[in-house]
Amino acid sequence: MRVRRLGELEAEIMDRLWAWQRPATVREIVDDINRGRRVAYTTVMTVADILHRKGWLRREKSGRAWLYEPVRGREEYTAGLMRDALGDSQDRPAALLRFVEVISDEDMAALDAALRAARGDQDPQALRDARSEDPAAPGGRTGGHA
Amino acid sequence: MNHHLLVPLGLALLTGFVVPWLVARARWAQQVPRLALGVWAACGTGFAAASALLPAQLVLSSADSHRLADMMFGLRLPTLDQLLHLDGRERFALCLSLLVLSAPTAAFVRRLARARRMRSRHAGVLRLVGRYDPALRATVLDDERPAVYCLPGRSRRVVVSSGAVHALTPAQLAAALAHERAHIAGRHHLLVAAAESFAAVFPHLPLARHGGSAVPLLLEMAADDRALRRCTRDALATALYALASGRAPRSAFAAGGPSAALRMRRILTPYSAGHPVLYGVLTITAAGLAMAPLIIACCSFPGNT
Repeated sequence: MRVRRLGELEAEIMDRLWAWQRPATVREIVDDINRGRRVAYTTVMTVADILHRKGWLRREKSGRAWLYEPVRGREEYTAGLMRDALGDSQDRPAALLRFVEVISDEDMAALDAALRAARGDQDPQALRDARSEDPAAPGGRTGGHA
Repeated sequence: MNHHLLVPLGLALLTGFVVPWLVARARWAQQVPRLALGVWAACGTGFAAASALLPAQLVLSSADSHRLADMMFGLRLPTLDQLLHLDGRERFALCLSLLVLSAPTAAFVRRLARARRMRSRHAGVLRLVGRYDPALRATVLDDERPAVYCLPGRSRRVVVSSGAVHALTPAQLAAALAHERAHIAGRHHLLVAAAESFAAVFPHLPLARHGGSAVPLLLEMAADDRALRRCTRDALATALYALASGRAPRSAFAAGGPSAALRMRRILTPYSAGHPVLYGVLTITAAGLAMAPLIIACCSFPGNT
């Protein structure tokens, strides 16, 4: 439970620093979180230190306090996750299960035709095409539907 | 060297070559993906067992190998006491078997560990970058590109990009999420890892070659079927289309194959002629019957010295 709460606090701290887009002291962060719920200064200080050691935050001394700042923007981390999610790198083990893999243009045209056919947008010939099409030879299709 | 070698040899031939060849071409497989997955899993275990028994039968004396064959047919596992009192030759045979089994097992464990490491790194970043949406019961990632995926295993969660939330209607999104939850609930990542490691250890074996490409697709179809219990065919098919069309560099990765097109056709035209379950069961029974002569031969001539 304790670990879980610390994890949530990590996210709360990062959220604020990303939103503010400027370096901030632990005091500022604590004050902001305290508008919603009580949190101890020392807890936030500890977690900010953890984030610093994990490489999420960099810091510099300003007077007697540390000023914390995200090392990278939220978008950069998101882009990294999306690279995993979209399967752009091929030589990975199957760590994630994706809803749909990357597909070719021919298959895209076949998908399009099948979907239209099922909805009755097209003539019966297209319906038969979509159902009887040989997956091994998608090149035989005309791309005119797309 | 004796005739008891025939049983593991026959089993290896059947599970490694004949049945995979049949199932890879069978039409019933994609109509009843779970039965087909069962056949692939059985072939994998059967082939592993056969390849472990083969060297053991080679070095054992005739009487011993008959006892081993008997044990196998009766599906009786040796007791711990028996294992502790093996003589030299038997111990050698056991070591050989374990050695053969260790190659695919090690590949499987290594693959699982690597995937888990990658997932926990991914989950660690996701925890700070994504935000959990209680209504969707999924983590939302702020990105224009539509994507829906899941992290199976220990740090399990379903993830959608904000692009996917915008591109899909609520019904379509629910269908895609149900599909991902089916992956998690079915622990599909284990079977994918097993198929991948088999393909890595036995690259030229038909079982590994056909299975390596068939199993992931069958798992997708099984997840589609499970999702369809909770959503309409139209919603699932449209979600599939919308997410596939939102992809950027398509032609570069044509290797992804016709899986999306096959799945879509299957979702939209559910019932085709024939009795897929019957064909499936027939294939399995036929394969089992093919083993019968070998087993009978083996049992009727115990001491062929």
